[in-house]
Amino acid sequence: MTRTATVAARPATDGRRLRPKLDQWICWWSIPIFYNLFGLIFVYFTKIMPPPSPGLTQDEIVAFIRTNATNLQIGFVLLALTLGLASLSSGIIVVQMRRMSSARVLAYAYLAVLAVAALPGCLFCGFMFVLAAFRPDRDPRILVLLYDMGLLSFVGSLGCFVIQYLVFAIAIVLDKRAIFPKWLGYMSIWGLVTELVALPSWIFRGGPYAWNGAISFWLGTAIFVVWEVCLVVSLYGAVKRQPLDEILA
Amino acid sequence: MNTTDQRICLWLVPAFAALLLVAFWIFPGFFPPMSPTMTAEEVAAFYREHVGEIRASMVIVNLCGISFIPFFMVIVVQMQRMGNPSRAFAYSYLSAAASGATLFALADLAWLIAAFRPERDPQLIQLLNDFAWIAFVTPVGFIIAQNLCLALAIFMDTRRVPVFPRWVGHFNIVAGLFMMPGALAMMFMDGPFAWDGLLAFWVRIGAYCLYLAVMFFVVRSAIDQQASEDRLAA
Amino acid sequence: MNAREARPGDLGISASRHAGREAKRELPGDVDVWVFVIGEMVVFAAYFAAYVVDRGRNQELFLQSQQLLSPGLGVVNTLVLLTSSLFVALSVRATRTADARTASQCLALGGACGAAFALIKSFEWYSKLRVGLTISTNAFFMHYYMMTGVHFFHVVLGLVLLTILWREIHHTDAPRAWVIESGACYWHAIDLLWIVIFALLYLMR
Repeated sequence: MTRTATVAARPATDGRRLRPKLDQWICWWSIPIFYNLFGLIFVYFTKIMPPPSPGLTQDEIVAFIRTNATNLQIGFVLLALTLGLASLSSGIIVVQMRRMSSARVLAYAYLAVLAVAALPGCLFCGFMFVLAAFRPDRDPRILVLLYDMGLLSFVGSLGCFVIQYLVFAIAIVLDKRAIFPKWLGYMSIWGLVTELVALPSWIFRGGPYAWNGAISFWLGTAIFVVWEVCLVVSLYGAVKRQPLDEILA
Repeated sequence: MNTTDQRICLWLVPAFAALLLVAFWIFPGFFPPMSPTMTAEEVAAFYREHVGEIRASMVIVNLCGISFIPFFMVIVVQMQRMGNPSRAFAYSYLSAAASGATLFALADLAWLIAAFRPERDPQLIQLLNDFAWIAFVTPVGFIIAQNLCLALAIFMDTRRVPVFPRWVGHFNIVAGLFMMPGALAMMFMDGPFAWDGLLAFWVRIGAYCLYLAVMFFVVRSAIDQQASEDRLAA
Repeated sequence: MNAREARPGDLGISASRHAGREAKRELPGDVDVWVFVIGEMVVFAAYFAAYVVDRGRNQELFLQSQQLLSPGLGVVNTLVLLTSSLFVALSVRATRTADARTASQCLALGGACGAAFALIKSFEWYSKLRVGLTISTNAFFMHYYMMTGVHFFHVVLGLVLLTILWREIHHTDAPRAWVIESGACYWHAIDLLWIVIFALLYLMR
């Protein structure tokens, strides 16, 4: 693919020979590191995953927040420090998507959509629980409000990820250079469907379609984990296979 | 370069816009828009009475609200084709589009959270309702920035056959001007600048819808032009 | 890198990989599509399991609610979808014998049946909503709307796919059989899933 008039003469280098694709490998490593941290934060410290039930009474919710307050704070301090790592995974995926024969527009859409998703889909939840843990002696009704805001936004932020999976799937299916395997594109459709079945979490306080339900949460998380693992593996392959002359050109 | 994906991103707009229009129609608080002067009890009663419609409509908005991002990215890609001195405006446009969408997502979340527990204290439901309306109506700065970047890029496009005709630049500026009153809804409880007022609500929303419709056709022509240029070059 | 022009409906899989596959017929369609389809089945199995578990806990409620469904519409929909699958299968057969005209006609008919399914389903939902049976009415209707809703999404996706397949046949001289087969594979899977949904929701007593 030729680009007209944008490749200037290469400036003189300072003589260092860096390992090829070093920047991509650093970004690639950020993904497993980030998700391990994510697990540590959401599963071990803050106990947001698996989520406590929407059907809890006011007293139970208040008890959850008050007994968990320190852990909530530690966990979300960690999140505040490390959520930025997610941007690195965006970066490397965009670089690989740009190699596809499909136009850049889908790579940009992926980048923009995940930039949007970080706040309402992840950090907002952290903020709400931090507010709750910051002053746990607040009026219980306010604590319940913060609890709802945190968990609903976490499980129920759907649109950003719908578009993420959609543009990713379209890009892979249209890609003639097979940067990523086709089945990863099809798997992204599964991910899209998990967003659809999380819709009822905005309605139900119990059952399989509640925010902690077997379908809306557990199935959704399981499919997400499988997809993420496949993505990380495919990304590894894509970076490894990338011919050096594409980078050094 | 293949224009298929640009076309797909383009056609996502009418598909999702149709769904969003249905959602806005179902939402009982839009036609006519809810007033900021409603008391907490009135707001809570509203949510209790219309729980089903509020949830259904806002869940559709949740799913479809971010769907214009790919379309804005097509505009970014078209901006990169222009004969501009640099790519700055294209990246600025990208950034503004992402920031604007974030607030739209938050507004929708606030409406849905308000409808989740209708037995909640009315003052808290009113708080969420205020959050949603203000997040929905007032952060016009990002759209204005987008439009400004695009307008400037169009005026500076030195290509013999510009990517977008010049009137599109003027149109973007005018559309941005019509959306500006939205910001004042932070200050007014009634009148034309309140979130249910003529300027902050009707004119702002109307201008945005008209803007999208016009830009759809404009971008479609630009993609067609790109496709024919590629065919000639090949 | 490659000078091959983009064509409408180009699913982008490298030609060489499939030239080999054309030679030895191991699996109709593409392996990737099979992964997709089997995965979809597994995911739907989870929805079915959730339904069955809930039904076990609330048998009386589920039996009563089932009476409120329209089995007639369900049967019509099943027949419509089966017919569409038949047309799609005929289309695959016609593609294999390079009969492009029959293939595209059958695809169009299959798509029309699929669209009819979507319309009938929308009407069915509308008639339920009008009498106040919403997703939050009770557990049965929660499952009803969710299962038929997710299936509906897959039908819409399938219709988009059929349109792409139709363009593949219509706009190229030598339509690739594996592309048509892959799409057909997906469409048959949706049909199969509907039959299970129909049985669970409408028939199972």
